[in-house]
Parts: sequence; C-alpha cells; structure tokens
Amino acid sequence: MQEYKENMRERILGSWAVWSSQNWGKSFLILLAITIIMGFGISILKMEMTFYSILPNNSNQVRDMKMIMEEFPAASSIIAVVDARDIEDPQEAEEIVKKGIDSIVAKLSEEQFSDYVVRVTGKADMSAFKEHGFMFSKEKEITRSARMYENLNLVPLLTAINNDFEREYAGDEDKLADEEQMAVGMFRGLNEVLVLIEKSAAGESVGQGEIDKALESWLYGDSYILSNDNKMGIAIIQPTFTMEDILVMTPGVNIIERTVKELGHNSGFKAGVTGMVVVGRDEMVTSEEGIVLSSLIAFVAILLIMIFVFRMFSVPFISGIPLVIGIMWTMGMSGFIIHRLNIMTAMYLVALLGLGIDFAIHLLTAFIQERDEGEPFTEAIRKAMVKSGSGIITGGLTSATAFFALVIADTEMIRELGFVAGMGILSELVAMIMFIPPLLGFREYRRNKKGKGEHSLFSKVKINSDAASGIGNVLVKAPVAFSIIMFAIGLFFALQAPGISLETNLMEMEAKGLESILLQDILVDEFGMAPDSLSVISMNPAEVRDLSDKLDDLSSVKMVDSLGPYYVSSEDARSRGALLHRFSGNLLNNPVSDSVDEDMLLEELYRLEMNLIEMGDMAYMGNMNKMLHTIGAVTGFNDDGDKVSESTLDRLFSLLESGESDSESLILFQGEIVPLLKEKLLTMANDEPVTLDVLPESLRDSYISRDGTKYLLNVIPTQNPWEADFRNIYTQQMQTVTDKGTGMLLAGDQLSHMAEVDGVKAAIIAIVVVFFILLIDFRNIKLVIITMITLLFSFLTLFGLMVVLGIKFDFMNIIVVPLLIGIGVDDAVHINHRYLFEGKGKMKIVIGKTGTALMITSLTTIVGFASFIPSVMQAMRSTGIVLSIAMAIAFLFSVLFHPGLLIIVSEKMGLNLKPWGKK
Amino acid sequence: MNKILILTAAVSLFAILNLGAESAEDIVNRADEAFKGERVFSTSSMTVYKSEEAQPVQKMESYSMEKNGKTYSLSIYLAPRRMKGTANLMIEDDLWVRFSSTGRIRKMSSSAKKNSAGGTDFSYADMGDGGSGLSEKFTPQLLGEETVEGQICFKIELLASDSDAPYEKMIVYITKDTYRYIKIEYFESAANIKSMTFSDYREVNGKDYPFAYTMVNHTKPSRTEVVVDIFEVNSSRVQDRYFTAGYLESIR
Repeated sequence: MQEYKENMRERILGSWAVWSSQNWGKSFLILLAITIIMGFGISILKMEMTFYSILPNNSNQVRDMKMIMEEFPAASSIIAVVDARDIEDPQEAEEIVKKGIDSIVAKLSEEQFSDYVVRVTGKADMSAFKEHGFMFSKEKEITRSARMYENLNLVPLLTAINNDFEREYAGDEDKLADEEQMAVGMFRGLNEVLVLIEKSAAGESVGQGEIDKALESWLYGDSYILSNDNKMGIAIIQPTFTMEDILVMTPGVNIIERTVKELGHNSGFKAGVTGMVVVGRDEMVTSEEGIVLSSLIAFVAILLIMIFVFRMFSVPFISGIPLVIGIMWTMGMSGFIIHRLNIMTAMYLVALLGLGIDFAIHLLTAFIQERDEGEPFTEAIRKAMVKSGSGIITGGLTSATAFFALVIADTEMIRELGFVAGMGILSELVAMIMFIPPLLGFREYRRNKKGKGEHSLFSKVKINSDAASGIGNVLVKAPVAFSIIMFAIGLFFALQAPGISLETNLMEMEAKGLESILLQDILVDEFGMAPDSLSVISMNPAEVRDLSDKLDDLSSVKMVDSLGPYYVSSEDARSRGALLHRFSGNLLNNPVSDSVDEDMLLEELYRLEMNLIEMGDMAYMGNMNKMLHTIGAVTGFNDDGDKVSESTLDRLFSLLESGESDSESLILFQGEIVPLLKEKLLTMANDEPVTLDVLPESLRDSYISRDGTKYLLNVIPTQNPWEADFRNIYTQQMQTVTDKGTGMLLAGDQLSHMAEVDGVKAAIIAIVVVFFILLIDFRNIKLVIITMITLLFSFLTLFGLMVVLGIKFDFMNIIVVPLLIGIGVDDAVHINHRYLFEGKGKMKIVIGKTGTALMITSLTTIVGFASFIPSVMQAMRSTGIVLSIAMAIAFLFSVLFHPGLLIIVSEKMGLNLKPWGKK
Repeated sequence: MNKILILTAAVSLFAILNLGAESAEDIVNRADEAFKGERVFSTSSMTVYKSEEAQPVQKMESYSMEKNGKTYSLSIYLAPRRMKGTANLMIEDDLWVRFSSTGRIRKMSSSAKKNSAGGTDFSYADMGDGGSGLSEKFTPQLLGEETVEGQICFKIELLASDSDAPYEKMIVYITKDTYRYIKIEYFESAANIKSMTFSDYREVNGKDYPFAYTMVNHTKPSRTEVVVDIFEVNSSRVQDRYFTAGYLESIR
C-alpha cells in the first residue's frame, strides 16, 4: 500500500479525537451547553400530526378549504351518532334514539362544557319555516299549497290532499326518494290527524294539544335527523375549536366523546362521534402513538444490534447517548427555524435513529479494527477518526446537502422535511464525532481505574469480517458474472416500474379500525349522507340559490345543503308576496263549516288509502324502506302487500260504513282543527319580504361566514366520495356547474398531486446535488457515473418490486424518495473511498474491511424504517415498507453490483478512477 | 320488455343513421339488425342489487310492436308478489301504469320517463324509448377500435343532438367480427353515470340476441341484472289490443 498523507480535515478530526478523549469532562460540558440551548428550541416546538396540517397552502382548493374551516363555525362540527340497532322493536328503538339525542343535547349544553361546546343541535330548528315557510317556497309550491288548503274543512281538505297525491307522485320515484325524510314526517303527521278523526268519529273528545301536535307533524315533518330505519340518529355539536387549534382539539374531542359514550352506556344505546375534527384527533393520537411505538422499537432493536455486533455492553451508552443528543439538537433547530414537527418530519426523526447510528458504527468499527491491530487507545481513536471520519463526513454531507436541497420545493411539507432531514443528518454527524471520542475516553478512564488492562478491554471485541471477506473473494473471482446477474435483476424490475400507481384515497392512509372512519361509512349506509362532501364558497346569495338548483340536478349529488332555498330576491318576494296575499285572504275568508258529509268523507278516505297503497308500491320498488314502513303503519299492509293489521283507516271505514259515527263530535272536531290549521298556515303565509337574518343562528353559522360576506354550499354526494371511480364522476359533474369546489377530498388530491410533482422535482434536485457532491469528493467523472448507475438500478428495482408486490406510492412514501437518493448512495460511496484507499486488486480487502460495517449500517437503517411497519396508521406502515425495501435493495446493489462495476472499469478496462491529476 | 330494453340499449337507430357519419351508421345499422322485428314477446327476470344486496326478483312478460311508425310496449310484472299484475304501457312518449294493488291506472308525466323504472337502474326511457323519438336525438361518430372483454370492438360515440335526449352522450362498443353490442356507456353532465353490458348471445330467427345484460349504476351502489327466459320475434302472442288502456284495466 502506498504512503497515505493526511489532509487538513483528517488532521483536525484526529486532533479532536485525541483532545476530547483525554479531556472528556471539558468535552461533556461543551456538549451540555449546546444541548441546553437546543432545549429552548424544543420547548417552542409544536407537534401537528394531522393530514390537515400538511396540506399544500399554495393550492386554491386548500386555501378555500382552510378558509371554510376558519370562517364557517359549523364546518368543524362533531357528529354524535346514537345507535339503537340492537333493539329489535322499531318503535322502541326510535324512542330510545330520540331520548338519546335529547340527552346529548341537554348534557353538552351544560355550563361545564362551555370551554369546548358552542352549541348542540338535536332537531332541525323550524322557527323560520313556521313563520315564513311559504315565502321560502317557489311559486309553484305556493300555488300547490293554496290549492290544497283552499278549504280547510275535513272533506274538502281530504279531497285536495288526494288530488295532490295523484298529481305529485306520478312515477317520480327519484323525487320520492329525494324527499323521503320530509315525506315520512308528513305521512306520520297525516296518520296522527287520522287518529284524531277516528277518535272524534267514535265520540271521544280531542284536546287542542293533540290537534296542535298532529298538525305540527303534518306541516313541518319530523325534526329529528334519523336513519332510514329510524334506529339511529345524530346530534350536531359545534365545538369552540377547529382543526387549526391543535392544542385544544384532542382534549376537546376526548371530553365530548367520553360524555356521549357515557350517556349511551347509561341509557342503553351505543354512541360515537365523527366529523373532521374527530378524524383529526384520531390522526393525532394514532400518529403520535405510532411514532412512540416506532421510536421504542427502533431504539431498542438498534442498540441490541450494536451490543450483538460489538459485544460491548457499554455500546448502548457510547452510541445511544450521541444518537439521542443528535435527535434533540435536530428538534431544537427545528423549533428555532420552522417551529413545528408534522407527521412526516416526526416520522423522519424516528428514521434518524437508524441513520444516525451509522456514523457510530463506522467510527467504532474503525476504532476496534485499530485496537485489533495492536494500536494503543489514543492512537487507535485518532486513526479511527482519521480513516473513517472523512468517509463519514462526505457521506453525511452528501445526504444532508441532498436533503437541504428539498427546501426549494413548492410544498411546505417537502420543504420542512428537507430542512429536518438535512438538519438531522448534520446534528447526528456532529454529535457522533464530538461525543464518541470523549465517551470512549471516559470508558477507558473507568476501566483503567478498575484496574483492567488496556488490551483486555477489547479482547472480546472482534468484528467478524469472514462473511464479508468471503463475498469479496467471490466478487473478485467473478465480477462480470455478478454484475450481469444484478443487471438482469435490475432490468427485469425496471421493465415493471412503469406500472407503478399513486394512492389518492386519504382514507386508505388512515389508521385501520378507527371508529370515526367507520362511523362515516355508517352515515353513508344508514342515513344516505356522506360526511365528506365538496363545498363551494360564493359571495352572492343569489348565486347560491342558482348553484344549489343546478348542483341538485346532478345524478351524483344527493342533496345540496345551503341557504339557497332561504334566499328570496326582492323580485321573488314581490311575486311570492302577491300569491301569499291572495292565499292569506282566501284562508281568512274560509269559514268553518257546521257540517261534515260523512259519505263524502268515507269516499275520500277510501281514495286516500288507495293513494297510500300505490305510494307504498312505489316505495317498495324503489327500496325506500323508511317510507314503505311508515305507509305500511298507516295502511296496515306489510312489505309483501298483504294486509296484516287493522289500521286507523280500517277503523274509520267501519265506523263510517256502519253509520255509528258521532256526527256532532266530528263537527266539533272540525270546528277545532280548522282554526288551528288556519292560524298555522296564515303564519307560514306571511307575505312580508324576508332576509337571511330571520334564519336561526345554527343555520347562519353553517352557511354564512363569520364576517357575513361569504356563503357556503355543501354538495352531498350519493356515495362515499373517497371511492376513486365515484369520486371522478362526482368531481367531473360538479365541474360542469362550478370550478370552485373544495373539500378534504380535493385537498387530498392536491396533496397527492403536489407530493407527486414536487417529489419528482425534489428527486431530480437530489440526484443533481448528489452528482456534484460526489464529483467534488471523488474528482473523477467515471467513478461518479458508476456510482450513479448503481443508484439508478437500486431505484428502478425498488419501483418494479413495488409493482410486483402491489404497493402503491402515496403522498407520504413518495416524498421520501429524494431522501433515499441521499441515503442509498452512502454504501457505494464508502466502497469507493476504501477502494481508492486500498488500490487496484484489493477488492477482497475493501469488502472485508467495509462489508460488515455496511451491512450493519444498512441493517440499522432498515430497522429504523421498518419500525413504522407495526403502526396502525396505514400511511406510516406503507412508508416503512417502501423505505425498508429500498434500503435492502440499495445495500445489495452496493455490495453485489457496484464492486463488480469498479473492477470491470478500473481493472479490466484499465480506466483511471483516481481524482484528477493523480495516477 | 327485453326487446324494448335492448332496442334502447342498442339505440335502435334508423334516424341516427341518417344523421351520423357513414361508417358509424353502417356499423350501428348492422348491430341493430338483431333487434328488428315487428312483434316481440319475451319473459325475463330482473334482479336489482343495492349495495350488493339482492332485492326481490322481478319477473315480467313483455310485449312490443311497431306499427305505422309508432312503438308500443307493455310490461306486466309476474313477481314479486306485491307487484304481480302491475303493468307499464308505453305508446311513443306516453306512459301509463296500472297498479295491481288498487286496480287503478295512472298516466305518468313525460318527465317521469327519465326516472328509475320500478327501482331498477333502467329508466322508463331506457325501457321503452326505442323508436325514432330517441334515435333522432343522437349523432353517431366512429371513435376507433377498442378491446372489450377480449373482443375487438368498434367504439362509437352518440352525441345528443336534441335537448330532449335522455343522455347527453352514449358510447357503444360493437364487436368487429359479429356486429354484436358488447357495452354501452351513458353520459350525463360529462360523466359516465351508467354502463350496460351484454352477454349470452343466442341465435333467434337467424339473428344473434343477448339473453343476459347488466346495467351498472355508477352514481349509486346499485346494479340491475336481466336474464331473458323466452324471446320470440314476430310472435303471434303479441296482439294489437294489448296496447290499450282498456286491456290494462282487464289485467289480473
């Protein structure tokens, strides 16, 4: 071997190793001071572990969505789901559900929850509808109502109702389905009115309260929000916090969830909560738990590997202390510069355990090898630092520079990752170089003090290089064969690589089995409502109405929640007002008749039954079970169309057919119901113009921004919009009406798209940066190209293997690809350095000396990444799998492909791989 | 009803042929040959799957005829029990329903034709609007060739040329060698909202006819599978008198 002259960097490293190992106390004080300063940085660091926090702010859709969260208080609503599906009897179940909703509303409205709850709503607030209902109706509807309520006496009213049924239901099953909830309420109200007619026909007295209740049901429908079978219901909780209030969100959701569940437990129903902030809380909790679990697994596994390899029980301290200090410094610098850790950067800190330990492995391996060769402690540590320090620093700087280059990315998420990743590598590098020599010095001091001989310290410490030397031997014998085999493997997978796809469904990246996610599916199935809808912001209420109408017509849209139906332009107010004026006038001139034609009443009741049966047929064919069962309760028919019970109508028929009905009582009843109905209709038919101010606060909070300048439309889809095929239809159809749609759905797409675009951009940057750093380090273009070819084949193999294994890219694992470029090239760089150091024909020694260290460093890195695999959060799991596979492939190509290439190029082809100007 | 369904599905397209590009016209014309016949009788079973859950099987017998340029169709439910005897009568754009539960007949509004028929994924228009009314509303254009279910097909776009058309666009796939319809995609507001696929082709009166077809709804978790049991072309079972309100009233 030729004489090797130390350069300036190596001399500095050697001097620090000698001084710090001899003055370990002073060294510790210096490092402690640095760590205390970093402690301040950690104290100001925020943990933001939600997908929401990493959405790209440079997207219009994301900006709009964040604006909705901030400006529309109801957008952060928590949905409490009351579930009584275990109870067989439908009526009992419904009663429990309604009581459950009432109890949630009552409990959470208490003062003790005021820090977290603004308002709880269990029923639709009908106050505005009761006072201005007809003014909110279109002219066609007003005309229809005027026709139906032309004469409020029993027979004319029933005749008009029958006429209306026959006019309205003509084949329009879709319309029936759309208005099922309202229609069900109306049928129930109708049944209540029939019960009262029956009572009065039987001569029983009917109280005003009963009439009032029946008329409210008939006119306003059911105000509870119930599932299709009425066995589930929901209450809407408006919290004091949003997704932005990270610190309050978790305790707030926890308290609300605990309270709702306790109420359910005590009252015999199941209960749970969902909604965007609940999912956000779950993301926080599961990702934090995942990070803690991964950290523990990685830390313990890595230290066990260190103990096993180095057979030194002090290794956990010698390598573990600087490892943890390096992470603390990274967190401190992150606190000072970017003030937060997100889900990606927090994951990276765990991975840093596997990356940072590599520096310790290289240093300790070199140190032990020197001791094996009989060098005294001080000289061994100096030589170890000189020989390994350069490679470590070059490798570390290569990775760090490649990572730092990501800060020019467009997305904040990638910029933050670039900063934390670069800073992490630098921190670990500095911590290892500064800490390991004094720690070894301290250990040496302790051992000497206990009277143990210097050499005995390391008598058991051997780095077994036989396996690595064996690989080196085989490689030297058949470099071309190895290269060809690895080339063929790389080529095979490269051909598969174009088939790789991108997962865009954020729900596929969440933790599995989360109640908040499962409840979303239940809302889709049982209530026919998808909680993840697209939203549109409009500055103009007239546009809101127009958009609502157009969006409602789309086949992928179940309904549009907005103030559209409540916006009445001055022109509409005039024309509706005129109609209502006439309607009111007619009502006022509508006297109570002093007779009831019982024959006609019977005829109209027959007709009503037939209408209801036909409507039941249509509900049956349209699979509208809720309506089918409600109508069945009124008619006494079961699902198969068989008469199974006596209905109110049947009893009325018997009474009227037998002639035993109490005519006076019926007239009395008519005299009670007509004025009450008239009063309610007159109130609803108020012809004064209305503004949005008449709406209840809960509605205004939902659809008008805090400053009153913006209006929100929620476009509820017919299916779960996270299903990729349906999402395309839903978004395509919406695009035909407006391009202003936003929501977590599109924000998630933006996240994936920008991660893809920026990931590719960042990867290109990383490749260029790595290329130039290698060029500066090796000063030989041929050697750099060979190294880059190895890297290229590693990545093509990774992508191809992902296709074969069915693993998709997602927004998390795709943005770590640039990091892999910086990390994956390390092994080849170490081999290059050693090969240049040992010279031609010494590949066996190169592999023997570096192979074990490379294997161990790769193993610890893989352990660091693989620690994410047990995480319940699927995005973390997939990232762990991809990174682990990537590192294994990079190691195999570095050891089995790269050395062969070096031998072929340098020794077979005779090309010079030494730095420029050296021969 | 099957013939009618297929007619629509196949877009039974005399008038289209007059409006579209020649090559597309020829292809559609040849594919439509299988469905041409003056009097068609069929029986079929229709199963609707909502969220993969099968609903009660709907069995029905269907009669259709073309006379004096008008399309007539009558479908009578045989099952499920609740719907047995319920019937739909269509004469061109007019639609009547007779409810077996009450024996009453209702005339439907013309807008109802776009709605789901009997809770299936077919609209009334899909089921019966197979005459010139629909065909005049589309313009065909050959888009190229595509392999569908292993068969090389012509891909033809039918663009609505009339605001009354039930869909803004359809794309039909017709096999290149046998001129069979394999798939139809229906578009509304720029999105493919439904797709119908055809299978189990059998020879009837020297022409290939699909004995099974499925309509998949892409906007709801629903699909409807139809299996044809009997299919007769120029059937003597089809009588002129069936297509009257009077006959509807007499159905039991």
